[in-house]
Amino acid sequence: MRKFQFLALILGVTILINAGDGKQFGEKLSLNSKTSVSEILAHPEKYDGKTVQVEGTVVNVCSSRGCWIELTSDKPYQTIKVKVNDGEIVFPMEAKGKKAKVEGVVYAVETEKKVEEVACSSGDKKEGSCTDKVTDASHEKENEAGCCSSSKTAKVYQIKGKGAIVFI
Amino acid sequence: MHRIIRLIHRDLGYLAFGLVVIYSISGIAVNHTFEWNPNYVIEKEDKALQSDIDSLGSDSLIAAGVLVDLGIAAIPESIFRQSPTKIRIFFENQTINADISKKTANIETVNSRKVFRETNYLHLNVPKGIWTYVADALAISLLLLAITGLFMIKGKNSITGRGKWLTAAGILLPLIYLIIYY
Repeated sequence: MRKFQFLALILGVTILINAGDGKQFGEKLSLNSKTSVSEILAHPEKYDGKTVQVEGTVVNVCSSRGCWIELTSDKPYQTIKVKVNDGEIVFPMEAKGKKAKVEGVVYAVETEKKVEEVACSSGDKKEGSCTDKVTDASHEKENEAGCCSSSKTAKVYQIKGKGAIVFI
Repeated sequence: MHRIIRLIHRDLGYLAFGLVVIYSISGIAVNHTFEWNPNYVIEKEDKALQSDIDSLGSDSLIAAGVLVDLGIAAIPESIFRQSPTKIRIFFENQTINADISKKTANIETVNSRKVFRETNYLHLNVPKGIWTYVADALAISLLLLAITGLFMIKGKNSITGRGKWLTAAGILLPLIYLIIYY
């Protein structure tokens, strides 16, 4: 009975120690220094293709296969997405609201962004708040208000996660 | 020879029973991911905020205002200000997304889908490492169960009797699907 009690105590202490260390996902973190998310978002080309370690609060988790999380930045209103290969790392939804450290490679994703209410290249004056000029007439579409809109491709920078520690 | 085949089939059958049940439950669950989330039960509730909350306040002040308005007394784990007028408040298994300019709040509650989440965890090899080899061993066991099952029985119900038609049907079904849809 004494042996069992001693073992239970060791087990309990081990669990408590590990709980404080956070839960490991994927590869162990190897970098000694962190990069701020705001720095990556302010100068993304500088970090494109580079391995970084970032820290933040998990504010969103993919509910299907836990294949991405969104981390807060050190600056207000900013977040960065950390994407992992399906099945390689599965982030639990319990990670929402918890602090996390992530290591991965910064990369760009091209997304199509709709620019609304732009002046048509035909030069006709339209009602409403049409402000920007359209440079490529082939992407013009007229919306209900009589203003034209165009689509632009924009680069969104994310991190391809290799490893993470989430303090669940 | 038949004695050895039956012995292998019997003992492998006992050993594999637990894992086959786990993999079968999970298999059905993840086969229907287009109809449901096999790991979580996610409930969302929209509520209207009654009071005016000043967007110039600090994150904590705004969060407190939202929680008081919604009648929630619990202390949040963390807060995230998405924009000057949007805030996200996190609890253990609940997230509140509030828009103080539109005076709306969405409460998302997430609970684990008991049994399914645990079986999916093993079936989809989330733990990796040694479990990968356990899963490989199960696959080999199932293969042996299938092969030994073909030769266990003698007589009119054996593989040389009606068994050959059932085996052929079992092979034809996936082949037809591959030919038509692949």
